[in-house]
Amino acid sequence: MAEASRQPSRRVHGAAGAIVLDGVHKWYGEFHVLRDINLVVKDGERIVICGPSGSGKSTLIRCINRLEEHQQGSIIVDGTELTSDLRNIDKIRAEVGMVFQSFNLFPHLTILDNLCLAPVWVKKQSRAEAERIARQYLERVKIPEQALKYPGQLSGGQQQRVAIARALCMNPNIMLFDEPTSALDPEMIKEVLEVMSELASSGMTMICVTHEMGFARSVADRIIFMDRGEIVEMAPPEEFFNNPRSDRTKQFLSQILNH
Amino acid sequence: MTATVQSPSPGPIAPPAKPNLLYRPEFRQAVYQILLVIALIIGFWAIAHNVAVNLARQNIASGFGFWTRTAGFDISQTLIEFDNQSTYGKAFWAGLMNTLLVAGLGIIFATILGFLVGIGRLSSNWLIAKLATAYVEILRNLPLLLQLFFWYFAVLKNLPGPRESISLPGGASLNVRGLYLPAPVPESGFGYVLAAFGIGILTSIAIAMWSKRRQLATGQRFPVLWTSLALIFLLPGAVYLVLGQPLGFEYPALRGFNFQGGMAVQPEFMALLVGLSTYTASFIAEIVRAGIAGVPRGQREAANAIGLSNGLTMRLVIIPQALRIIIPPLTSQYLNLAKNSSLAVAIGYPDFVSVFTGTVLNQTGQAVEVILLTMLVFLTISLLTSAFMNWFNKHIALVER
Amino acid sequence: MKSTTKLFALTTAVLVSTASFASAQTLDRVKQRGTLSCGVNVGLAGFSAPDDKGNWTGFDVDYCRAIAAAVLGDATKVRFVPTTAKERFTALQSGEIDVLNRNTTWTLARDSSLGLSFVGTNYYDGQGLMVKTGLKVKSAKELDGATVCVQTGTTTELNLADYFRVNKLAYKPVVFEKADEILQAYQAGRCDVYTTDASGLYAQRLQMQKPDEHIVLPEIISKEPLGPSVRQGDSQWFTIVRWVHFALLNAEEAGITKGNVDKMLESTNPDVRRILGKEGEFGKGIGLANDWAFQIIKQVGNYGEIFDATVGAGSRINIARGQNNLWTKGGLQYAPPIR
Repeated sequence: MAEASRQPSRRVHGAAGAIVLDGVHKWYGEFHVLRDINLVVKDGERIVICGPSGSGKSTLIRCINRLEEHQQGSIIVDGTELTSDLRNIDKIRAEVGMVFQSFNLFPHLTILDNLCLAPVWVKKQSRAEAERIARQYLERVKIPEQALKYPGQLSGGQQQRVAIARALCMNPNIMLFDEPTSALDPEMIKEVLEVMSELASSGMTMICVTHEMGFARSVADRIIFMDRGEIVEMAPPEEFFNNPRSDRTKQFLSQILNH
Repeated sequence: MTATVQSPSPGPIAPPAKPNLLYRPEFRQAVYQILLVIALIIGFWAIAHNVAVNLARQNIASGFGFWTRTAGFDISQTLIEFDNQSTYGKAFWAGLMNTLLVAGLGIIFATILGFLVGIGRLSSNWLIAKLATAYVEILRNLPLLLQLFFWYFAVLKNLPGPRESISLPGGASLNVRGLYLPAPVPESGFGYVLAAFGIGILTSIAIAMWSKRRQLATGQRFPVLWTSLALIFLLPGAVYLVLGQPLGFEYPALRGFNFQGGMAVQPEFMALLVGLSTYTASFIAEIVRAGIAGVPRGQREAANAIGLSNGLTMRLVIIPQALRIIIPPLTSQYLNLAKNSSLAVAIGYPDFVSVFTGTVLNQTGQAVEVILLTMLVFLTISLLTSAFMNWFNKHIALVER
Repeated sequence: MKSTTKLFALTTAVLVSTASFASAQTLDRVKQRGTLSCGVNVGLAGFSAPDDKGNWTGFDVDYCRAIAAAVLGDATKVRFVPTTAKERFTALQSGEIDVLNRNTTWTLARDSSLGLSFVGTNYYDGQGLMVKTGLKVKSAKELDGATVCVQTGTTTELNLADYFRVNKLAYKPVVFEKADEILQAYQAGRCDVYTTDASGLYAQRLQMQKPDEHIVLPEIISKEPLGPSVRQGDSQWFTIVRWVHFALLNAEEAGITKGNVDKMLESTNPDVRRILGKEGEFGKGIGLANDWAFQIIKQVGNYGEIFDATVGAGSRINIARGQNNLWTKGGLQYAPPIR
């Protein structure tokens, strides 16, 4: 009971080094998709990753909860190293929430069931408790009235907010966002970004792959620019936007900001 | 529509007050419907008349009078009582029951096996995946008749004669004439054992419901499976022992040419059941594989990302969605299995086609009536199966929206 | 499945056919077509089976050839239509075949309710029972509790039930559609007994791996008069087929053989001259050429020759003439005279 009602904000002053990537490499066959990634994300830190498509940014965050397997180097999440040990993987997945570009809600379940599925089956919460928490999060993402509908009946923006709530129901320490707004119509992007900003202000550790530069500027502690599987530039927003060091970053920024 | 009923006659005679009648789509549609119905009635009448005249002219007996006549032949395996003094009508039912028996069991086994193999094909275990693939590719590419012959004659040739039977534990015997099992003979007091069994089942159901409610309320789980197993098997077992084992067995024994007594499962039945099940399972496996593959990859990732294990992901997320893709083609496989059961005649199993469309047709010579009834039976089986599967499909489709 | 489909197609043919062929002259249709459609067994050694070169051979097959020789003057103008026990009558009713020559038993029910007529008995048979010698069974009366393999859609199936009932013996039937399947199942030990017409048993025994290990029991449990049948309502065609059979018998009785038939044309014996069309107009009387019987004997042989070559002493099956000998030699085969 105590664990279930614990609020994410309590994690702000947790242990340092929520995520540590050390010399991570990954190949898809011959294709070298991640090259020597070194990154330390502190607890409560908010990272935005941007870069051209195919630069490996999605692959990078998918490695963090082992949706993809890295082949070299080490990834330590909250003090647990990701190896092929299934117990570690399950432990980390329960602590790391993820939001996908295409929402990936379960179409055969109601919104409420989507939210309660993992708490009931993985955390072994009672259904009543899980529902109470789920409704709390639906409130937080501002769609409490949709609880009994099915995903297909919601707009894209609403679905993505449900997806965020679903991840939050597992009470994660870390949230990963994989281009959460790329599949949305412009008028819906705003509502999703608002939820994300609100989440950021609560002190959640966040790694977010996005091209929403306004969001990056206002929320991120650091911005990472990736290209061809490498971290090309890593800097706080001010420095990243006003004084990029790499030519590739400059070129990218000029394309994305002027289009 | 009411206007059309008043004046079904075509345009020129239509009342001038409604000049547009001819151009109204409802009117035209009604006319076409009526014409079609008339054409169908004339068509059917012509066929029926033609048949009657033809049969009479050729001096071929017609009508269903044969139904109550004595059949005069025997059937090796029947679910209802049948001997050579029974009527052709009874032979119809005996054959039909045999078909339903093999088709019903075949559907159950084919479904279980098909799901296992289909999921096996997607397994990350190399050996399992390859074995499942080999299974599917071999079984669905060989003609079913060939497979039936294989099962039948391969099994027959490798089993010993009745006098050299293989003894199995518990007094059962296996030989070329079939599998002979002891038949249970209840003695006084056995009713209590059955009652205990029933109580065990009911209690288990109650416990399962209570446990589900408790889980909803508190999140605690109860070991339902083990408790239920204990209740269902140990409770009657204890009663059985306490009452001094009130159940006798009639053991099959070799007398003369064959084993007598006990229960016998014929090799024809086994071969047909195995052949139909394994063959249909190969198609079901492909359907299941396609159904699971048809669930978007993101669903599995999302389920993994919120911490569901692979097993739970399959059970809670993938299978429920895959079922909607699986059910319609699965229905047609069930229908195929029912229809394929008519190959039974090749390996001597007395199914409906063998008994009724074979022996009865030949002894009575009334091909038209027998074939008509046969068509009716298969049509009914098919429609009932389809209806059930449609209902089931609708039931699980509703869950989505 | 395939045979069921075929049966279904034949039945449909019965359904939709107009009454035309029933009363039509089969003779005209055969002549117009130039070939005779003859229904035979799908495979029964000695009666009808394709040899290793794919040519149909056997007793029933030769009857088809004899009819073609008489009607068309050419014994090779036959289209053999293999039929299972189940399909045979429907094939005849639907007009798929002109005549059924398929070791078929003549019974009252078949003569009266199937729309067909048997022209005569060309083979007197009876149902026999075959068992393995290893069982040490000497008589059918010892078969209580036995498992019996039998073919579906035959009189055999009914005789079997009758015999065991009358003798108060228990048995289990296992029913197959094709003779091959029975043979396999019987050899695999599925049945203690294989029952069919005695002639069929002798023929099938030859197909077995070890023929010596099987015996046909002495009891003949039924009368099985086998003969050709045609559709009812065409008396001209009925007469032709019937007299082809009689011509074969008369030729044997008169000593006319395939070898001596040319020389016999010069014979002065009035019987011989009438059979061979040198005297009288008997062929024309039944709507055929006057040398109809000559053609039969020249191209196919007489009854005795056919019997010997296919099922008798000259064949591997080696069945004694017995009841099928001419009446003059103590048998039952007796033909009205051609005069």
